[in-house]
Amino acid sequence: MSRQEILDSVNSVFREVFDRDEITVNEETTAADVEGWDSLRHITLIEAIEDEFDMRFKMNEVTGMKNVGEMLDIIAERI
Amino acid sequence: MKHYSFEEMTIGMEASFDVIITEHEMEAFRVLSGDENPMHMDENYAKDRGFDGRVVYGMLAAAYYSRLVGMELPGEKCLINEVKLTFANPIYAGERLKVRGEVTDLREGTRRMKVKANMTDEAGNIRNEAVITVSFTEDVSS
Repeated sequence: MSRQEILDSVNSVFREVFDRDEITVNEETTAADVEGWDSLRHITLIEAIEDEFDMRFKMNEVTGMKNVGEMLDIIAERI
Repeated sequence: MKHYSFEEMTIGMEASFDVIITEHEMEAFRVLSGDENPMHMDENYAKDRGFDGRVVYGMLAAAYYSRLVGMELPGEKCLINEVKLTFANPIYAGERLKVRGEVTDLREGTRRMKVKANMTDEAGNIRNEAVITVSFTEDVSS
């Protein structure tokens, strides 16, 4: 799976979790850029991404990722 | 009350208990919630709509899911994050019901788990179901 394909799938998960079809994230997107991306939504998002890619994040990764790009790095490493 | 930590939980862990929802609880819930819908208050109204009698408040029945996770799975450290409820069949006051829950999902990364739960009558028919997402509290005072 290419990085762009991973990003496309991540965008689908974001749209589903936030229930907003217009959301598009990129490598630089952070929680501050997306309305409603609070700590609880972050956890819901993480679990939805785990389901989407059939992989698991470690606890330090869940709290440590700075932007979507770092999320993609971890996903790419595990799938 | 149980005191399980996240690390002590395993897939398949179960808990169950029996309950009977009484008229007293129906009245208490009416006062608490302010829900005076005739489906729950008026025997004839409910029967006219095809039910056997006044229907127990769904959210009153669901309160036992709070007990399930708050007292048993995992107990003390429980913090409910999400509940998905399905009210499959009506419950009537005085019926004996079994509340059951089973751990079906554990996420190390987010330290959350899912408990799949249901309430069944004495014949084993499911009256309602829930998927409860739970996180674990920690003492941060020291």
